[in-house]
Amino acid sequence: MADPTTDPGRTQPQLAAGRRVLGIVPGTPATGTRKEPDRDEMVMVWPHLLVRHAVAALAVLAVVLVLAVLFDAPLREIANPTNTPNPEKAPWYFAALQELLSLFHPQVAGVLVPTAILVGLAALPYIDRNPETSPGRRKVVVATFTIFLVLWVVLTVIGFAFRGPNWDWVWPWVEWHGEL
Amino acid sequence: MQLMDRFRATAVGRSLFRSPDRVTERDRAAGHWANFLLHIYPVKVHRREIEFRYSWYLGVASAVLFGSLVASGIYLMFFYVPSPASAYGNIQAIQTEVAFGQFVRNVHRWSANLMVIAVAAHMARVFYRGAYKPPREFNWVIGVVLLVLTLLLSFTGYLLPWDQLAYWAVTVGTSMADFVPFIGGTTREMLLGGDQVGSATLLRFYVLHVAVLPAALVAVLAIHLWRWRKDSMLDDGEG
Repeated sequence: MADPTTDPGRTQPQLAAGRRVLGIVPGTPATGTRKEPDRDEMVMVWPHLLVRHAVAALAVLAVVLVLAVLFDAPLREIANPTNTPNPEKAPWYFAALQELLSLFHPQVAGVLVPTAILVGLAALPYIDRNPETSPGRRKVVVATFTIFLVLWVVLTVIGFAFRGPNWDWVWPWVEWHGEL
Repeated sequence: MQLMDRFRATAVGRSLFRSPDRVTERDRAAGHWANFLLHIYPVKVHRREIEFRYSWYLGVASAVLFGSLVASGIYLMFFYVPSPASAYGNIQAIQTEVAFGQFVRNVHRWSANLMVIAVAAHMARVFYRGAYKPPREFNWVIGVVLLVLTLLLSFTGYLLPWDQLAYWAVTVGTSMADFVPFIGGTTREMLLGGDQVGSATLLRFYVLHVAVLPAALVAVLAIHLWRWRKDSMLDDGEG
């Protein structure tokens, strides 16, 4: 190859996008091709997962802190076995059961339903043998679960906020009987 | 980090950290493996498993709330005697006289409510991800047990303030046991220590709340996490 300093044809530098091209080398970039994060790749738990867990923990504790500063835990008058309050409410996470109890025979609402829920939940992986994981390819089981979940949430909200004295219907913005 | 590396090279540093110098990824993995606090975690997981949309971090949120409940609960235990004569007065004193008493009680109450929500939401998230599929079926069953333990912990704690709210909520809750055929009445009497909520009930619920149920939850949670760790180390391409 001729010496570029003496070769008259090469005295003008080649330009590309306003920059002088010194040379063109065949092959892939020396720094490697651009890396797309592969979601199936295994990554180290420290630091990748642990920093995320630390942030999640701080976020949860921040929510607890704010709630604890803003809202005091309830404390009513001292327990009195001779004075039954009306309405007599179970804790909110049993409000759906209490609501069912007002609609069906206690043996159905208080025994059969809770047992069926727990046994059904525990048996779920043995009933649903479809190996698919994406919700779109297991519509029946997703729809069934969603119906029960929505039903449970609705019953909980009704029992918690929409029931007043004698378990009669009240509007929570008119009378408030919910207690956490 | 360089300072840390230099410290690790000293005699004291080498004695503190039971791990080799972290030069290669293999060294870092060995360091993780040798660390007592990190032993509940796998060394590596799939990248998709650490994303927010995978889990919404609801499992770790439940665990953090449980930790908050243990910490605030131990503080409250110092000022509480589980007897009808003193319980209500103790709560009043916690709220008015004890340093940070009202705040700690609020933290305990809110953490308890949030933990019920977090555990239920964790379960729903696992369901929609299909993460209960083989080989994780049994860990789902353990999760159902943990849900029941969470509800029982919350319910036993509900009685302890010994106010009208607590007394009648527990009366309603335990009266349901009566309808269980054959064993219902006996179960209810065993739980209450009599035919109605009284001093025996308060003591029993207290012991269940601060000793029996937390110990059971920690034991079952250990199995839950152990199985999670084993399963997440599987390079099955399914997650």
